[in-house]
Amino acid sequence: MAAAIELRELAVHFPSRRAHGGVTALQGVSLQVEEGKVYGFLGPNGAGKTTCMHVLLGFIPPTAGAAYLFGTDVRQSIARRRLGYLSEHPEIYPYLTARELLRLMGRLFGLGGRTLRARSAALLEQLGLTAAADRRLGTYSRGMLQRIGLAQALINDPDLIILDEPTSGLDPLGRLDIRRLIAGLRARGKTIFFSSHELSEVERVCDHLAILANGRVVAEGAADRLAAPGESLEQYFLRVVGAGAAGEAPR
Amino acid sequence: MSRCLAIARMVWLDLLRRKDLYVLLILLGGLLLALLSLNVFGLGGMIRYVKDAGLLLTWLFSWILAISVASRQLPQEETRRTIFSLLAKPLTRGELLCGKWLGAWSVVCAATSLFYLLLVLVVALRGGRFAPLTLAQTALLHALSLGLLTAFALALSTRVTQGAAAALAYIGALASYLIVPQVPAFLTAADGWRATALLVLYYALPHLELFDLRQRAVHDWGPVPGGLVAGITLYGAVWMALLLLLGWLGFRRKRFTRGAVR
Repeated sequence: MAAAIELRELAVHFPSRRAHGGVTALQGVSLQVEEGKVYGFLGPNGAGKTTCMHVLLGFIPPTAGAAYLFGTDVRQSIARRRLGYLSEHPEIYPYLTARELLRLMGRLFGLGGRTLRARSAALLEQLGLTAAADRRLGTYSRGMLQRIGLAQALINDPDLIILDEPTSGLDPLGRLDIRRLIAGLRARGKTIFFSSHELSEVERVCDHLAILANGRVVAEGAADRLAAPGESLEQYFLRVVGAGAAGEAPR
Repeated sequence: MSRCLAIARMVWLDLLRRKDLYVLLILLGGLLLALLSLNVFGLGGMIRYVKDAGLLLTWLFSWILAISVASRQLPQEETRRTIFSLLAKPLTRGELLCGKWLGAWSVVCAATSLFYLLLVLVVALRGGRFAPLTLAQTALLHALSLGLLTAFALALSTRVTQGAAAALAYIGALASYLIVPQVPAFLTAADGWRATALLVLYYALPHLELFDLRQRAVHDWGPVPGGLVAGITLYGAVWMALLLLLGWLGFRRKRFTRGAVR
């Protein structure tokens, strides 16, 4: 069985007029995410997490190497058939209502008719948006937008969900909702690829972790086995990221 | 195809919930009513005048709508960052481009039909009428010119900002409509490389004047032969396909990153 995500020696280089020789965002990134795992993707700002996610989502073509979703090259649109994606700031169409947005996103997955209507209604109910389903998204609060962002990410009942900083900017109740949702998805055997700055958040929900620094994977392994005995995830993170920045191999 | 139609439906919802279309409709209605209040040419001349000015306004407003709607589709997705939600779905960039074009073209055609309807009503109010077949041919070729314009503005917007795409599309459309038909007249005064350059320009740019049957509709000259309409339709279809292909070439490898497009 193919891994949910597989990156092989992935490199991304942006040509830039300002930086001589351009900017290398990723270099030699290889990792595998097995199905059914909650995989945390950590790194300081500018480490390349979002670039890596954008390659997986087909927004950026890799300069070298390859990326696969369930064994299909990400350059093929069909690779995203079993994928759901929620970005840090859910992008919205202010002129659409929640119901219309879900209908549109469902149609992009080839859903339609009763199946789509039932699925939209269930998601709106699950995320507490039924009462606001016919309101334009331009009138939604930040928390409601995050929830409708999640609803559109789950409209196709995806097997792999990519969450880019899903708890960023949310209040404690919003974070709790996201944690519950991730737990629910995990219980249903879904794979979750999750980037965050919140180490405590990652520690709570992830089975497996990768830490990225300067466009390279500097640490990878089971979440409960990475740190040395007596060391917190935060201490471990600071240690490996510091070593990664200095160009040393983490111990 | 269903994905293209879903994207096209979004373009419709976007336009229907904005003010642009309604402003243009009210403006056109107001201008046509203002034309009715004038009666300096006697009744017979008046009807031709209303038809002529009304068709000119219909063309002008539909071009403005076509360029403004088509040139904002992709840049707006980028600035709102909604492009990420779309491209994260199993949607190819070609499908996105086609859906946007289909939506923009169809919604502008629908709005133009309303403009025509308004004009026919205003002409009828003065006791005049259009020859139905000639008007149908005029509207059909007008719709094709709108397809070409939307494809042109959309293709430009894959590489430049919304404002620049709209400005270039206006310049290109006016040059193609007003200057290109005059090239044979310039050719008589040119020689050597200048003549060659003019010839290249003449054949390389679309001839929007071919789609303009307004004078036939105004003066009731009767319909043009069906074969000619079919030929112009084919010409328009080839240009639309070419412009969409150029747009796709500009869009298919474009890099999208959060907050900026490289």
